[in-house]
Amino acid sequence: MAESRLGDMELERALRELGSRYPYPPTPNLAVAVRRRIVAPPVAPVRRLTLWRDPRRLALAAAVVLVLAGAAALINPTTRDAIAHFFHVRGVIVSRVSPLPSLSPVTPLNLGRRTTMADAQSAVSFTIGVPAELGAPDAVYIDSQVPGGEVALAYTPRPGLPLVKQTGLGVLITEFRGDLVPGFLTKEVGPSTTLEETSVNGDPGWWVAGEPHLVITRIGDMDYPVTLRMAANTLIWEHGGVTYRIESGLSRADAFRIAAGLP
Amino acid sequence: MEGRPLDDLALVERARTGDVNAYEALVQQYQQLAFRVAYQVTGDAADAEDAAQEAFVNAYYALGRFRPGAPFKPWLCRIVANEARNRRMAAHRRTALAERAHRAQASGEAAPSPEAAAEADEFRATLVKTLGALRDDDRLILAYRLFFDFSEADMAEALKVPKGTVKSRLSRALTRLRDALPADFQVSSGGTING
Repeated sequence: MAESRLGDMELERALRELGSRYPYPPTPNLAVAVRRRIVAPPVAPVRRLTLWRDPRRLALAAAVVLVLAGAAALINPTTRDAIAHFFHVRGVIVSRVSPLPSLSPVTPLNLGRRTTMADAQSAVSFTIGVPAELGAPDAVYIDSQVPGGEVALAYTPRPGLPLVKQTGLGVLITEFRGDLVPGFLTKEVGPSTTLEETSVNGDPGWWVAGEPHLVITRIGDMDYPVTLRMAANTLIWEHGGVTYRIESGLSRADAFRIAAGLP
Repeated sequence: MEGRPLDDLALVERARTGDVNAYEALVQQYQQLAFRVAYQVTGDAADAEDAAQEAFVNAYYALGRFRPGAPFKPWLCRIVANEARNRRMAAHRRTALAERAHRAQASGEAAPSPEAAAEADEFRATLVKTLGALRDDDRLILAYRLFFDFSEADMAEALKVPKGTVKSRLSRALTRLRDALPADFQVSSGGTING
């Protein structure tokens, strides 16, 4: 067997021959669909993130924002949303955007690999919170690319947990070390979405509801987003350096009831 | 396959300022490559189309982070491959890629041209099937180099690995492919590959 094996050159030639005749399906015309989806200016949200990568620029920006904050809030109430995101929930940037980019309503969640709760716990640097209201999740995912790890708890739809079109789930809870990845999660909120600054279990948070909003996740200095998708009603807050996020089709009261069982 | 770098640079710069027509030109220029890269990962035409489309949209919104003057093609391919992997995972499709590629061929999903179909032979099917059973990174580096004729620099960028490791990675991928091929897969005296 060994003596009849192909050499590298022969194998490369075979592959080159194959490459020119590979049985690919016909290439679809993507240009029209892509054009339809890129209706908003592309660059603005990305520029904001660069602040977080340079502490000096961030400090300067924060100082400028503090000076201007009072006057700006008086002039335009929506300005406050844009300012608050710098200080509110670590790991999260929330921005008002108009118009919101047009994305497919259903795109991959990119939750990482499915695993057991025990394995997920051993892979993250914080204690995973499981809400008593919901009990054990139907599936657990871990994404070790995120510094400190990100865990996702998935609950399938059932009575009381309506199906969320954007996730295919009833409830999705994610937890990650917001203190380690300050620019990890960006939420872009359009004009038809409610954005409420709130308090969850005594910690600062956001309640984002109404029309779906855009979620972008980005790790470290990656030059493209890991996730870019539309999200449903979300309650998000931070406690002890860990940022918790509950996405569902539930009301504000029901989301807070679930949150009460988390740190 | 595609790509005139100077044109790319100009189109990317225009797209960065919000010129949708320029970006559409880039999509048209690279959609075949993007779709085929995605297909190498998913082994499924619908998933590959979704992944390629998502990657183009994703790349558009990431242009602000794209390094000015850098080659667009390998950067795009990196996003495509990532999207394709995510889509495969999201769909919970655990069917071995080898089986899927094989099934696609058998069912006609792949729809090769009549000419290619006439010329298709067993060795090609065996190679396709064996490639499909390799790890993504191995299959992609072989495809980038030998199917799509990428330079080493482009391969390094597309795979996000140091340029100095590309040759050794390619060599290891070839070795693993060879090890996975049937023992009687060899070159005949006429230079044709036989299975």
